[in-house]
Order: sequence, then structure tokens, then C-alpha cells
Amino acid sequence: MLRAEGLDKSFGALHVARDVSLHLAPGVRHALIGPNGAGKTTLFDLLCGMVAADAGRVWLDGADVTAASADQRARAGLARSFQRNNLFADMTVAANLATAIVLAQGHGPVFWKGLRRLSGVAAAVAEIAALVGVDGVMNQPADTLAYGMQRQLEIGLALALAPKVLLLDEPTSGMSPDETAAMQRLIGGLPPTMAVLVIEHDMDVVFDFADRITVLDYGTVLFEGTPGEVRQSEAVRRRYLGAEA
Amino acid sequence: MTDLAQDRLRLAVAAVMAAAALLWWATAGFFGHELIAQVAIFAIFAMSLDLLVGTAGMVSLGHAAFFGAGAYATAGLTVLLGWPAWLALPASMVVAGLLAVVVGAFAVRLAGVFFIMITLAIGEMVHAYLFRSRTFGGDDGLGGIPRPDLGALGLTLDDPSHFSLAVLTLALLVYLGLRQVVGSPFGQVLAGIHRNEARMRALGCPVRHYKLAAFTLAGAIAGLAGSLAAQHNNFISPELVTWTTSGEALIVVIVGGMGTLVGPVAGAAAVILAGHYLSGLTEYWMFFMGLMFVAVVLIAGDGLQGALERLARRFGRAAG
Ligand SMILES: Nc1ncnc2c1ncn2[C@@H]1O[C@H](COP(=O)(O)OP(=O)(O)OP(=O)(O)O)[C@@H](O)[C@H]1O
Ligand SMILES: [Mg+2]
Repeated sequence: MLRAEGLDKSFGALHVARDVSLHLAPGVRHALIGPNGAGKTTLFDLLCGMVAADAGRVWLDGADVTAASADQRARAGLARSFQRNNLFADMTVAANLATAIVLAQGHGPVFWKGLRRLSGVAAAVAEIAALVGVDGVMNQPADTLAYGMQRQLEIGLALALAPKVLLLDEPTSGMSPDETAAMQRLIGGLPPTMAVLVIEHDMDVVFDFADRITVLDYGTVLFEGTPGEVRQSEAVRRRYLGAEA
Repeated sequence: MTDLAQDRLRLAVAAVMAAAALLWWATAGFFGHELIAQVAIFAIFAMSLDLLVGTAGMVSLGHAAFFGAGAYATAGLTVLLGWPAWLALPASMVVAGLLAVVVGAFAVRLAGVFFIMITLAIGEMVHAYLFRSRTFGGDDGLGGIPRPDLGALGLTLDDPSHFSLAVLTLALLVYLGLRQVVGSPFGQVLAGIHRNEARMRALGCPVRHYKLAAFTLAGAIAGLAGSLAAQHNNFISPELVTWTTSGEALIVVIVGGMGTLVGPVAGAAAVILAGHYLSGLTEYWMFFMGLMFVAVVLIAGDGLQGALERLARRFGRAAG
């Protein structure tokens, strides 16, 4: 579904991606782990086309999207959420979701019809809102929501695109245990054909949902395998799980 | 207050202003009608800028270029080429819109201060060109611009009473049209771009295309205002295209309440009327207007309409 080969990126002297390759099969639940500053978020930026790679190629659903812009990749079925909430701050929750749905359903150029008259948009907004659990706060401006709720809306915006490949950057960070459990259920309940790549620090969450795990360290793929293999790996244990294992 | 309630409040304000304008028109004499036409034309111009600044978040200091393009196109087509005025009007919108496509193709690549600077620069270029253009009379301008002959409809547009009613009607149509655009999926996308361009890209939005579309639409409507101004004054000069015209409209949009349409209309009316009545009282009327603007912006950063909506929200909470 999503393939990257030989991705390389430096910010000045800082080499944040070194020959990174990654393959997400349809329907996979893939975790990306690694210490702070390992380059996980930057890898998302490279995959989405928000940061230009110095070298390497990316394929989405069989098509080479290396030269495609971020918005082209999103339209081709690649959606992401952000580590730091990236919402339409003073819009209501409903308007936040409607904005994403309008784009997802291709209504953007429609200027002659009222947004409220498009029942397809309203239905999709209600569906996503219920899915991520913000249906009780639809008329509140996004920036007045509690942090956990904003986090849920953040995921909702990405989900609104009904993507083929979904990249979630630390979806549970800053969430309460209850909210984290709800997020785990949400990830578990995503459509079985959707490929999902999640950056996650909480190893319990990772071992709960992941089919495969990639460990990133100093911009290099340190290890890639099943959760069982990762648990066994000496290198990962030393570098990353050290304290816990 | 929900989005729906806010929308209703704006519509109610628009209805009150339309009723007030009609009442004024019905009771006004020659001079009042001249003033009404002036207000309505400036309101159309301000609404077109509000689409750009308030809805799409593109702060332009060169919007008068498109106002001027509409005015000069009308003058050129009627006086120089002998077109009938009713045909010159839509043609002027097309000319202004085309100019906006060309300018916008460059300008929408820039953001923030750079966008402001390039729009300002292009506005000044248009002014400089018209100032020197022999065809259009240079700094003397060009006179003898006719108004459309609507005798078939029983209207004599040379009569200020009829002309002001026609312009008022157009202003109302522009309001209803832009309100529709702002409330459409397209308008929602513009609002999203205004608030968070990067997120819009991540959601698959080709941001520049939308910005160019907004820039073009705003330019074409500014061209309509310009064409009407040319007809109203029977005269054009580079004065129409100075950056102060752009700046004044920008102030009106900010003071009235960005992105609300009705706010900028109220602001436009206030500026024209204050300019008219205050200038009779004191030489320093501009100074007092400036003071008033500063006061409004300090007290209500979101403009007059924004303040009204905050008030309604407070009442809504108290009542609910
Ligand atoms: N635009 C940028 N310019 C310069 N340096 C950057 C830029 N973006 C990221 N970096 C640096 O690259 C390194 C990797 O950052 P990145 O955000 O990808 O790490 P991460 O693995 O997501 O870390 P965390 O777990 O803290 O989120 C960091 O040292 C960061 O400071
Ligand atoms: Mg990160």
C-alpha cells in the first residue's frame, strides 16, 4: 500500500533520515517506535511530502508519488495526524470536521450550494464525530476543548479523508488512561483494508495493536519485525527497551 | 452561539440595513440619492475585499487596482470604443477578473507580509501606468462616461433617484451572492485556508488554486464597484487607484468585522457618511475618524459585527 525506499534527509549537519525503507501492506497495523529525536515525525513528513527528501522514493498504492506534493498525496489516499494538535482553532468541532469532509468528498469547488444543504457532508461529519467521540461537543470551538478531546478531533480530521493509508503521530500522547483505551479501541476498529502506521511511545499500546514494529534510532531503521521478534531483539533491548525490559 | 445562530444574526443585521437604506432612499432628495449611490458602491468594494481578507485571509493593499480596472474598462469601452454602458458593465468585471488572474498567479505564491507587499506594489504599478497613459487622459482622467439606458424598464439612470436605487439593488445582490459563496463548501475551504493552510494541504487541498479563485472573484466584484463608480461620477482619474483607496477599504473591513460581510457594509456606510457630515463640521474630520477607528479596534479587535456577536453569545448563555 505504502512503500518507501532509501529515504534520506539532513537538516544542516543533522542527519535525521538515513536510507530509511518501509513497507506497509494493506490492512497492516504497524508501529513506529524510537527514542525522542530519532526522526519519527520527520519520517512522516517525508512520507507525506511535507518535507522534501534529499534522496529516496515513495510509492502509494503502486504509484510513484516521490514528486507529488503533500496535497496530491493526501488526495491519493494518504492521511496523517499530527503530534502537536493542528486544528482549525476557532472553528467549531462540526466545522473542523466539515472542512475535512468537504475536501474528502470533492465538494471544494462547489460555491453555488449551501454547505448545510449537503446531507452527505452532514452525515459523514456525524459519523466521524461519533467514531472519535467528539459528538457531544459539536458546537464548541476547537480551541476551547479539553486537551484529550482536541487529540480525538485531530485523529478525526485524518480519518475524515477515509484514507487508504493512515499515519498517526503519537495519538495517545497526553491522554488519560480512559481516553487511551478508547483510542486503542478506535485503532482496533479501523477498516481492515486500511494500512495504519502509528508512532507510539507507550509499549503496552504498541504490543496491543501492532502486527509489525519498526524501530528508528538516529534516523536509521534499527530493527523491523513482529512484536515477538522485537521483544527478542538484543539490539532493541539495549537501545530502547533497556530500562523497561 | 452555534454557527447557525451566528449566520441568522448576520442575516438579520443585513435585513435591518437594507430596510434602513430603502427608507433613506424613499425620503432622500437629490443629494441624499447621490450619497446613497456612493455608499452602495463603496459597500460593494468593501464586501469584495472582505471575501479576500476576512474569509480567505489574504490581506491585500492593492485591491484598488481592480476597482480601477473596472472603472477604466468602463470608460475605455464606452467613451473610446462606443460600447453601450449596459454591456460595458459586465465586460468591466471580466477585465478586472482577468487582471486578477494574472496578478493572482504570482501573488498567491506568497504569504503574509510578502503578499501584502506584492499587492501594494502591483496596485502602485497600475496607478503609475494610468497616471501616464495618454489613451486614458493621464492624470487629467477621462470624462463623459454614460450610464446604461434602461428606458425599456421605465428607468432613467441619469436621475440620481433611479441610479441610486439600481446601485443599491446591485449591492444587495452582491451581498446575497457573496453570502452564498461564504456559506458554501467553497467558502468553508477558504475559511480553512485562512486558519490553517498547512493542515488544509495535509487534507488534500490544492491551496493555491483556491486562493487564486478567491482573488479572481474578489477582483471581478471590485471591478463591478469600479464600473459603477465610473458611471456615477461620469468621470475617471488615477485618483481611484491610489493605495489609500485600498487602505481605506481595508480599514473598513477590519473595523466592520472581518469575514462577516455585513460589518464591512456598515463600515463603508459609516466612512462615507462621516466623511460627508464631519467634513462640514471640522477640518480635522479625518483625525477624528482615525481616533474612532483606533477606539473600535482597541475595544473590539474583531470589529463592530464581532462585538455584536459576542454580545449575542453572552445573552444567549444568560438566557439558556
Ligand atoms: N524543520 C526542521 N529543521 C531542523 N531540525 C529539525 C526540523 N524538524 C526536526 N528537526 C530535528 O530533527 C530531529 C528529529 O526530529 P523528529 O521530530 O523527527 O523526532 P521524533 O522521533 O519525532 O521525536 P519525538 O519522539 O520527540 O517526537 C530532532 O533533533 C529535531 O530537532
Ligand atoms: Mg515526533
